[in-house]
Amino acid sequence: MESIRLLLVDDEEDFRTTLASRLKRRNIDVTDVGSGNEAIELIRERSFDVAVLDIKMPGMDGIETLKHLKKIAPLVEVILLTGHGSVEAGIEGMRLGAYDYLMKPYNVKDLLLKVEDAYRRKLLEESQQRTQQRT
Amino acid sequence: MFSFLKKIFFRGDPTQRQRFVFNVEELRSTFKARYHSFKLLLNANNKALEIMADIEQFLPGERPFGMSFIRASCTALSVNVFRIIQNLNELAPDKYRELYGRFRDIEGSINQILSRRRLPKGDRLVISLREINGEMADETGNKMAGLGEVKNRLRISTPEGFVITALAYQRFFTHNDLQTEIDRRLQSSSAEQIDHLYALSAGIQQLIIRSDIPPDLEQAIMEAYRDLERQVGGGITVSLRSSALAEDSAGTSFAGQYRSELNVSAENIMQAYREVVASKYSLPAMAYRLNRGIRDEDIDMCVGCMVMIDALAGGVTYSRNPLDMRDGSISINSVWGLPKSVVDGSGASDLFVVSRDNMDVIKKEIGNKEYKFVCYPEEGVCRLDMAGEKASSPSLTDDQAQELARIAMKIEEYYGFPQDIEWGISHDDSIYILQSRPLKQFDTGEKDFEGAKEPLNGESLIISGGITASAGVSCGPVFIVKRDMDTLQFPEGAVLVTPSPLPRWAALLSRAQAVVTEEGSFAGHLATVAREFNVPALFGIPGATDKLRNGDLITVDAEGRKIYKGRVEALLVQSGHKKRFMEGSPVYGILKEVSRYIVPLNLLDPDAPDFKPQKCRTLHDITRFSHEKAVWEMFSFGKEHHFSERASKQLLTDVPMQFWVIDLDDGFRDEAKGKHVKLENISSVPMLALWEGMTAIPWRGPPPVNAKGFLSVLHEATTNPALDPSTRSSYAIRNYFMISKNFCSLHSRFGFHFSIVEALVSERAIENYISFQFKGGAADYQRKARRAFFVGRILEEFGFRIEVKEDALFSRVEGVEEGFMKERLRIIGYLIIHTRQLDMIMLDDASISSQKEKIMNDLYSIIKDSRG
Repeated sequence: MESIRLLLVDDEEDFRTTLASRLKRRNIDVTDVGSGNEAIELIRERSFDVAVLDIKMPGMDGIETLKHLKKIAPLVEVILLTGHGSVEAGIEGMRLGAYDYLMKPYNVKDLLLKVEDAYRRKLLEESQQRTQQRT
Repeated sequence: MFSFLKKIFFRGDPTQRQRFVFNVEELRSTFKARYHSFKLLLNANNKALEIMADIEQFLPGERPFGMSFIRASCTALSVNVFRIIQNLNELAPDKYRELYGRFRDIEGSINQILSRRRLPKGDRLVISLREINGEMADETGNKMAGLGEVKNRLRISTPEGFVITALAYQRFFTHNDLQTEIDRRLQSSSAEQIDHLYALSAGIQQLIIRSDIPPDLEQAIMEAYRDLERQVGGGITVSLRSSALAEDSAGTSFAGQYRSELNVSAENIMQAYREVVASKYSLPAMAYRLNRGIRDEDIDMCVGCMVMIDALAGGVTYSRNPLDMRDGSISINSVWGLPKSVVDGSGASDLFVVSRDNMDVIKKEIGNKEYKFVCYPEEGVCRLDMAGEKASSPSLTDDQAQELARIAMKIEEYYGFPQDIEWGISHDDSIYILQSRPLKQFDTGEKDFEGAKEPLNGESLIISGGITASAGVSCGPVFIVKRDMDTLQFPEGAVLVTPSPLPRWAALLSRAQAVVTEEGSFAGHLATVAREFNVPALFGIPGATDKLRNGDLITVDAEGRKIYKGRVEALLVQSGHKKRFMEGSPVYGILKEVSRYIVPLNLLDPDAPDFKPQKCRTLHDITRFSHEKAVWEMFSFGKEHHFSERASKQLLTDVPMQFWVIDLDDGFRDEAKGKHVKLENISSVPMLALWEGMTAIPWRGPPPVNAKGFLSVLHEATTNPALDPSTRSSYAIRNYFMISKNFCSLHSRFGFHFSIVEALVSERAIENYISFQFKGGAADYQRKARRAFFVGRILEEFGFRIEVKEDALFSRVEGVEEGFMKERLRIIGYLIIHTRQLDMIMLDDASISSQKEKIMNDLYSIIKDSRG
C-alpha cells in the first residue's frame, strides 16, 4: 500500500504534533494544521485521502469544517474526534458524511485501524467511479 | 454509487443480465464495495453489542459509574447503530430507509433524558441568613437553609451571615464558560482510575481558582459583607463554608468532601469563594459523586459566609448514638479552641455522654488534647501546642454539656430526625450553632456473636481496643497510607491503615475493605462516610502503622474492636454484604431510563411477521434487524444475480454432508471454476478453523435415547411445521458458508437443528469476534431449553459470554488474538456436529453428565492437537 495522505486538524498543538509524529512513524504522510480555515485552504491546493478533524475547535468547528471539506473534496474520508460525548454531534457528523467518529481518549492503534479502513473505502469509491465513467 | 447499484439490481431484462457476464471487472469492484459495507456493518454491529453488554453490566447498580460513562456509551452506541443503518442502506440501496425514522425517534428519547437539566431557582446572588429558611434549599444549599431554619424559626444562636447562592454559582460558571471545559476534561479522562482522578481534580480546581468573578457578583458579595459589618460592628473576619445543593440531602452526607475557609479578611473573600467553589472538584468529592451516582451538573456550589467566632471551645454533638438505634443518649465530642480537630478527626478530644431521660452527664472521657486551633487576630487559623493541666482538663463544664444536649434535642425534635451539630462557644460563653445536619443511624443488628470467640485462638489476635467508628467485620491485606502519594498505589480490597482519619482519605473508601487509624473519634467526617459506605472502621489504635505491615492479611472486627492475623471466617460469615450504592441515585436512574431505549430485544424471530423496521423499539432491535437483513442481502446478491463467477460452489469433501460456499471477496486462493470448490482452495482463516472442529472427531451417531425422549422428538416433528425440512421458510435450507480471508459465516441446519456462526478473525485483535447462535431441536420445549443451557455452560468455560432465551442460545466472544479465536472456532465446529441430538437425552441426569464429560475430553483434545 502506498502511504496514506492524511490531514490532521486540531487546535490543541501538543496533542496534534505528538499524534502527527506517531502517525508518521507508521509511514503515514501526515500534514497537520491548527484550524478549520487552514484545513479548507490546504484541501483546495492538495489532495488528501483521509482527514482527521477535532469537533471542538475555536472559530470554524469540526462539523463546519466537515461540511466545507466534503463540498470541495467529496472523496476524502473524514474521521471526527471529540472529547465530549454528545449523541447529537456524533450523529450530525455521520449524517454529513463523516466516515467514523472516535471519542477521546482513544489509543493510536484504534485510530490507525480506522484510518486504514477509511483509506480502503476511498480506493473502492474511486475504482467504482472509474468503472462507472467507462461504462 | 447508489445509482450504479440500482442498475445492477435491475433484473428481468436479458440484455442487462448479459452485461454481468461480460463485465466481470465491474462486478468484482461492486462486490468489493458491498463487502466493504458489509464488513463495516459487522464492525459497527459488533461494537454496538459490546457497548450494550457493557451497559447491562452496570445495570445491577453494584459498581460505580458517572454521567460521562452514560454519555460516552450512548454517543458511541448511537454512532454505531447509525453506521449500521447507513451501511445496510448501501448494501440494499434505500430498501431500509424506514430505519432512519425509527432511529431518530429512539435517539431523540435518549437525548431528551440525557439533556434534562434543572434550572436555578430565585433571582438573588446573595441572601442574608436572617431571611433564610428550610424551604430555600434550592437557592442556598441544604446546609445554609438548615442553619437559617435553626436561627429564624428555632431562635437558636448562630453567627450572622449570608449565603452566596446557586444563581451566583451559575453566573460565575457561565461568565467563564467553565462547564464546557470541565465536561471536556471529565470525558477525556477515565475517572474510574484513582491516579487519573488526581490529575483531573487538581487541573479543574486550578481552572476554577484562576477564573474571574463577574463584577456584579463581586459587588453583591462585598455589599453583603459591609451589611454584615454594620450589623455586628466593624472589624470582622468571616468563615466561608460550602453549602452545595444535594449536600446533606437524604442518604448522602458529603461529609467533609468540600472545603471551608476560616477567619478570612475582607480583601481575601473573593479568593476564598473561588477555593470553596473549586472544592466541588476535590478528589474526595469527585470520588464520592462517582460512587454515589450523583450527577456533576446537579451540584451547584452555594457558599455560606458567616462572621467568624473565635471559639474558646468547640465540637460536635450527636443527638443519638449513630451506631446503635436503641441508644438515645446524646454524645458530645469537644476540644479547646475551634471545633476543627473534632471535625477533621485529628487529635484527641473529650467525650461527654448525656442521658436523654434526666439530662445527667452519664459518661465523661477527658482526652489529652495536645494542641488547639485558634484564630490569628488578622486572618487565618493556627495550631497551638498545649501542655500541662490545660491539655488534660475538660473543655466543657457539665452545665455546658447539658445545655448543648438540650439544644441538640430541640433541633432533633423540630426536624423529627437525629442531628449532627457543629458548634462553638465564644469567649463570652455564648453557644453558636455553626451547622446542623441529619445524622444517619446504622443498625448494627444482633450483637451476640454466638460462639465467635471459641474458634479464635489467642495467637491470631494482634490488636484489641480502639473506638468503633463504623461497625462490621472485614478482611484484606494491610496498606499503610501516610501521604497523598501512597493513595495512588492503594490496591482494591485492601485495609486502609493510617495515622489520622483525614477527610481526604474518603476517596479510598469505595475500594477499602476496612479502615484502621491511630487517632480520631466516631464524630469525624471519615467516620461518617465509612458508615455510609458500610466499610468497617476501627479508630484510635495507637501505633497501628507500626504494628501492622504492608501486605499482611488481617481481619478487622470493628464492633468487637479487635484485629486478627489472617482471615477469620467465623467472624466474616456474620458480616453483611456491601450495599448497592448506585441504586436509587440520580445517575443510576438515568442509566435505567436510557437503557429502556437501548437494551430490550423485541424482535426475536426473523420469520415472524413483526420482524420489520416499524417494530423496532430499541437500539438493540435495530441492531438485530439490520444484521439479519445485511446477511440476507449479502447472500441474495450472490444467489439472485446470476453472478456465475461468485455464486455458491459446493464444497468437495469426503464428509457425508453437503455444504455450499460463497466467496465474498478473497476467501478462495484461486478462482474456482465450475460448480465445486475444494477445501485446499479455501483461504478463509475462520472457516478453516471451524471446519477443523467439525471434522476433528467423527460423529458417532445420536446418543442412546430412552423411549420417552424419542417419542418427544416424533411428537414435535409431526406437529411443528417450522421443523419440517421440506418447508422452504428461509435461506437456511442448505448449509452455507459465506467467506472472505478473515470472515466466515455459517448457516447450518442439520435435521431439526439450526445454528449460525459468524466470525471475523485477523491480526487486528480488537476487531475479532465470534458469535454463535443455536436453536431449534426436535424434542419438546423443556428438553430444548435444557440443551441450550447445556451448550451454554460449556461455552462459558471457554470464555464465551452467553445468553439463553427460551430454547435459543446466543454466545459471543470478542477482542482476543487470532490463535485464541481459532481455538474457539474449533470448539464451536465440534459442538455444531456433536450436540445436535443431545436434547433427546436432556431429562436424564446420568447421561447428561457422562455426555458432558465426553464432550469436555474431546474439546480439550481438539485444542491440544491444534497446539501441538
